[in-house]
Amino acid sequence: MVRVRVFATLRSIVGKNELELQASTVGELLEKLYSEYPKMKKELEKGAIILVNGKNIEHLGKLNTKLKDEDVVSIFPPVGGG
Amino acid sequence: MFGYMGKILRVNLTKEEIKVEELKEEDVKEFIGGRGLGTKFLLEEIDPKVDPFSPENKLIFATGPLTGTTAPTGGRYMVVTKSPLTGFIASSNSGGFFGPELKFAGYDLLIIEGKAEHPVYISIKDEDVEIKDASHLWGKRVGETTDKLLEEFGDKKARVACIGPAGEKLVRLANIMNDKHRAAGRSGVGAVMGSKNLKAIVVRGTKKVELADKEKFMSVVKEKIKKIKENPVTGGGLPNYGTAVLVNIINENGLYPTHNFQTGVFKYAYEQSGEALAAKYLVRNHPCFACPIGCGRVSYHPAIGITEGPEYESIWALGASCGINDLASIVIANHLCDEFGLDTISTGGTLAAAMELYEKGIIKQEELGDAPPLRFGNSEVLHYYIEKIAKREGFGDKLAEGSYRLAESYGHPEYSMSVKKQELPAYDPRGAEGHGVTYATSNRGGCHVRGYMISPEILGVPVKLDPHDVSEEKAKWVKIFQDLTAVIDSSGLCLFTSFALGADDYAEMLNAATGFEFTTDEWLKAGERVWNIERIFNLKAGLVPEKDDTLPKRLLEEPMPEGPNKGHVVKLHEILPKYYKLRGWDEKGYPTEEKLKELGLDRYY
Repeated sequence: MVRVRVFATLRSIVGKNELELQASTVGELLEKLYSEYPKMKKELEKGAIILVNGKNIEHLGKLNTKLKDEDVVSIFPPVGGG
Repeated sequence: MFGYMGKILRVNLTKEEIKVEELKEEDVKEFIGGRGLGTKFLLEEIDPKVDPFSPENKLIFATGPLTGTTAPTGGRYMVVTKSPLTGFIASSNSGGFFGPELKFAGYDLLIIEGKAEHPVYISIKDEDVEIKDASHLWGKRVGETTDKLLEEFGDKKARVACIGPAGEKLVRLANIMNDKHRAAGRSGVGAVMGSKNLKAIVVRGTKKVELADKEKFMSVVKEKIKKIKENPVTGGGLPNYGTAVLVNIINENGLYPTHNFQTGVFKYAYEQSGEALAAKYLVRNHPCFACPIGCGRVSYHPAIGITEGPEYESIWALGASCGINDLASIVIANHLCDEFGLDTISTGGTLAAAMELYEKGIIKQEELGDAPPLRFGNSEVLHYYIEKIAKREGFGDKLAEGSYRLAESYGHPEYSMSVKKQELPAYDPRGAEGHGVTYATSNRGGCHVRGYMISPEILGVPVKLDPHDVSEEKAKWVKIFQDLTAVIDSSGLCLFTSFALGADDYAEMLNAATGFEFTTDEWLKAGERVWNIERIFNLKAGLVPEKDDTLPKRLLEEPMPEGPNKGHVVKLHEILPKYYKLRGWDEKGYPTEEKLKELGLDRYY
């Protein structure tokens, strides 16, 4: 199982901060999440920051980034500050 | 001139002289306003080698052409002076409502010279400017000072910028607070104000900023506000959670500096995140002047009542940096810093350095006496020492000098996580190399808002850059970010607009306001000019690039011990030469004659 952590506005959509899912790629994981939480897809349509074990998938395999048991996937809507 | 009031107010506190001078168009065309224009005047009027606490140093409050207009976030001003913390240029930016009010009173710049014989404040009611006695306010905290001054002034629409006890005591971490909770925070600008015996400035203005093309300006502004509102960061994350929305993402990325930068992961980050703040303490948003974002937080805690903040940086500095996970303690500590007039980043950074020195047995309990042990995670430390620092009492007197002077006094400057003696903010550059370059080269020392490379390296805005890349491409982005930031800071806008706007957007607003009709590249060139004139000030003040454009040893030599950036150090030696070259500086970091001529700055250096 992959551990998924969600942040900011995603928390109220999912109703919790963390959940566990079975998926072999980030793309597959997102499909599963979107079908369970359709509002999440809308929330992330302007972009998302997705980390696998703290590393941004943009610099890994993007949506094809492979997942294995115990991986931690962190999903953020676009955020900024400073 | 449009966008400008065309006047400089000059107050000499030694001679008790007040003068109004004309602002020259050729100056604003070169340096825009705010940060750029303030630096130009400082460089021309003081010897950069001067003691920052001497009457010869000047304190400049500088607005930009968009300050006080309806341009989104047009409420910013800069305090420019020589820093007592770094010994280099200080330019501290603040929002709220003070900057626009100064402009409504008719002044683009307020230049304060000399030193008053006894505590005073400056009262400005349009043309009616007076130096008034402030003996009854000396020693008072920011909230009380502000309330008393507004009452004395007799106009509740007036705005106050003042120092707290920390500025009076020449604490090198002292800030200038305006509208009670907005801070010109960094580089000890409040201590310079204190050294001049100047407690406060109260201002009320009734004029308007005239614009070159009013209709064009209104339509351009409308379009930019729409962009900001529709952007998920400036229209979503920031208004919903404030700047503290960053806590979780920076921690998950493994660059949330913990225990004085000993690691980049804080296991209690969840508990001090923007999400937690919103759930526990948030009362409402509090936007600054003309701001469509509204990241400001009004918070409530029963121990202190209504307060503002804390911001991301403050939560981190008073939290993870000191190993403290208790958000309530952080909210109260942030309030105390505001009240005493202390920069939260440098205060937290100094306490964190003291904690490491204590835990390594270098600072001993005997020296602290009955005071709380300086251990990481001991939240008792925060509230106790913040007051001691502000009043320079007991061990607080040593802490009041900042982390570098503290650590150096024990023979261990390496435990000060600072650049040019200014404490670093809330991102460990072992997880963002470009951000490391901006730390090393920031003209005001350790700082995150002189080229916020976290945006492309971590947040993916406006492009997605690999945080560990140290190519020329990365160096190019550093320069672009630094130059664009200088334009925004000089215009009178808030940097947060840049999550939604690009260089062309700023050029459009500036052109419509001033009527200058510069191309975007010409505005960026002005930004580059600002960067270089600051560099010139620093070189004249004694900056040695080889020694000063660097990072604490820990970040260059100690691999990150855990998390996503495990094993990484900052490869500054690889990227810095590329950056110097792109700047048109020689390999040692000095601007070349050719570059200075190109920017029209050869007359200064």
